[in-house]
Amino acid sequence: MRHDFIDRYSRIESPVHQLSTGFKVSAAIILILCTILLPIHSYGYFILISICLIGVSIISRIPAKYLLSRLIILEPFVLGVSILSLFQPKGEIIFVTILVKSSICLYTIILLTNTTPFSKILDWLKVIHIPSLFVTILALMYRYIFVLIDDAERMERARASRSFSTNKRQIWKIRAMMIGQIFIRSIERADRIYSAMRARGWK
Amino acid sequence: MHIPDGFLDTKTIVATSILSVSALGISLHRLKKQILPHQIPLVGLAAAFVFVAQMLNFPVIGGTSGHIIGSVLAAVLLGPNAAILIMTTVLVVQCFLFADGGVLSLGANILNMGIIGTLVGYSIYRSLARLIPTDRGRLVAIAFASWCSTVLASIFCAGELVWSGIASWQIAFPAMANIHMLIGIGEALITTIVFTAILKTKPEFLHQSFTVNLSLTSREIIIYGAIVIMGLLIFVSPFISELPDGLETVAHQIGFDRNAVGQPLFPSPLADYQLPGMSIPAVATIFVGFIGAVIVFGGSFLLARFLIPNKK
Amino acid sequence: MSSAIEVKNLQYEYHDGTKALRGISFNIAEGECVGVIGPNGAGKSTLLLHLNGILPAASKVDQSVKVMGQEITNESRGIIHQMVGLLFQNPDDQLFCPTVFEDVAFGPQQFGKSPEDINQIVFDALEHVGLAGYEHRSPHHLSGGEKQRVCLAGVLACKPKVLVLDEPTKDLDPRGKRELKSLLQSIPSTKIIASHDLELIVELCPRTIVLDKGELIADGFTVDLLRNGELMLTHGLEIPHCLRHLHPHN
Ligand SMILES: Nc1ncnc2c1ncn2[C@@H]1O[C@H](COP(=O)(O)OP(=O)(O)OP(=O)(O)O)[C@@H](O)[C@H]1O
Ligand SMILES: [Mg+2]
Repeated sequence: MRHDFIDRYSRIESPVHQLSTGFKVSAAIILILCTILLPIHSYGYFILISICLIGVSIISRIPAKYLLSRLIILEPFVLGVSILSLFQPKGEIIFVTILVKSSICLYTIILLTNTTPFSKILDWLKVIHIPSLFVTILALMYRYIFVLIDDAERMERARASRSFSTNKRQIWKIRAMMIGQIFIRSIERADRIYSAMRARGWK
Repeated sequence: MHIPDGFLDTKTIVATSILSVSALGISLHRLKKQILPHQIPLVGLAAAFVFVAQMLNFPVIGGTSGHIIGSVLAAVLLGPNAAILIMTTVLVVQCFLFADGGVLSLGANILNMGIIGTLVGYSIYRSLARLIPTDRGRLVAIAFASWCSTVLASIFCAGELVWSGIASWQIAFPAMANIHMLIGIGEALITTIVFTAILKTKPEFLHQSFTVNLSLTSREIIIYGAIVIMGLLIFVSPFISELPDGLETVAHQIGFDRNAVGQPLFPSPLADYQLPGMSIPAVATIFVGFIGAVIVFGGSFLLARFLIPNKK
Repeated sequence: MSSAIEVKNLQYEYHDGTKALRGISFNIAEGECVGVIGPNGAGKSTLLLHLNGILPAASKVDQSVKVMGQEITNESRGIIHQMVGLLFQNPDDQLFCPTVFEDVAFGPQQFGKSPEDINQIVFDALEHVGLAGYEHRSPHHLSGGEKQRVCLAGVLACKPKVLVLDEPTKDLDPRGKRELKSLLQSIPSTKIIASHDLELIVELCPRTIVLDKGELIADGFTVDLLRNGELMLTHGLEIPHCLRHLHPHN
């Protein structure tokens, strides 16, 4: 579980990366909203939006292969839900529209997340007056996801080096115990973080 | 269960966002009053923990695998107010970091997994744990609550999709509910084992009075209860109320089918589902749900016995 | 010279009953640089946490910890945090902000500095540890040594009078260690360094305190203590290479 895949391209240099976070988030939300509001038959608009998105991705200098692979990884969820729409009157049309609409929305978010580091989004949340307790917890969480992933990875490796079983029941038990262990380490770490915060004057 | 953007229509987006924001507002308000300084990093770390726990895969049948949601786990460990906040931050990060779940669907996803799953699961846990006030009783309560919370969240998810007009209740409800009755068993199993591991290695954390408000005040119960009921009224009940009709038409259909000789030999499979009388799946799902609940409840006792054996 | 740190009969017991410190007393004068050594679990980290007021000092009647003549009490803790900069053993525990800038700025912000001052302080502190231009990086993209140096920058940004460092050379490569040594030598404030890196202690600290099982075993000139083979062996330490050839028979 290497974690640099999570935000690998959010820090590269490009005109899109340099845009202000507020602008990018609002633009993405407006674009998604328009896509949702457009009636089923507005194929022309869907094509127009897609061309815009492709243009933005080219300017952003993120490899197309990477963006596409993200889209393909996330597409099964979209497909799974869309299939539900097949089973109703005129389901085929709804199915296609939903698929197109949600793929456009998905790609928009993929572009947003890969051109905007999460720390910038945190700053923006502060600017728009989201309660500070929420932003603080979000920031701490974002910071320690990576530490906990490393922790979990080390535990998994240590376990793998000592066991040869691929028994599913065994794996379930070990993984569940591991989650318990990660929790205990998290609360102990929280104590130490609190000390570190206090040592620099936090009350 | 993360709904991507593009599925929900405007009215659903607005309704779910209003409900989520109000519940989140209350939980933040309460936490801000009650939280002690040293618990702020704790809640942040617990959120990171839930996020990472969701990343750990459990192999299911074939090559597929699943993961836990963790809303009941968070609620049991840190109390419902903190759990709502934790689940919300997890969903926000998943959305803005992974593009997992849509931006405008965030309200719906928070409502299903972060609020309904947490509050209902926690209420079930509390009532059961009070009935059987032992460690084993807590495990039973956790297992059953996890299952119920997963299933209920999926029903809300189905309700929102139907409300948005992209699927019919007769299809979406059985599809979501049946799958999640199975997934819920996994959730119950893992949550219980995780809790046992914590109970064994760090009992003082669970027994010490953890004051990020483990219990709810009566005012909170009223407000949160109102939010849950509003959700039920908006997203689930319009369709449930069709059920008596459904039952009638099932009966009707059985009679109707007997006479249906002149039907085409190979009807298209989809056409079948478009018949007005096809409420069988939905009715059957509710039936299966009750039986499932009884079985899961019984199974929870066995699991608890297995995890905390009799000491002799 | 007046004392920077005055510790009298310090005892500490963790919640689970572990007696980590059993009556420790010493004085450190202003401007001194003192090493604290001892085997794993000796109580070094626990001691250092007391010097900054993180762990309670005034829990028992006959014990006290004074910093710059001021006793640590619940009222004085705020000032003590500002006077004593503490570098923690694990950089990940100390780097809790999403970007390097926010982390280094955290202390000055808590002490009520203005935004312009903070920008300048952060810039200087990062420059000082050789990480100029790292402001907008995220901690999880940094190497172990870089993390350690950001932590140090965060401590230096608080402009402490006393620097307390727990394992400052952990995770540093040889060049990093060399740079850290000269960096620390260039800082005139009082320094207390706990480390298993005995060469570092020999080079930086004229005086050393040896701890084991929560007790103060020895307190004296570093070169004398570290050359004492018997003392080193019984307390899980060893004579560092740089001192070995001076007294081969010891
Ligand atoms: N949070 C804690 N709860 C309980 N016991 C603790 C805690 N932290 C440390 N201890 C115990 O206190 C004793 C002293 O620990 P301390 O961390 O101060 O040692 P140390 O000298 O810094 O060791 P190291 O060289 O490994 O860093 C040890 O026996 C340790 O097990
Ligand atoms: Mg230590």
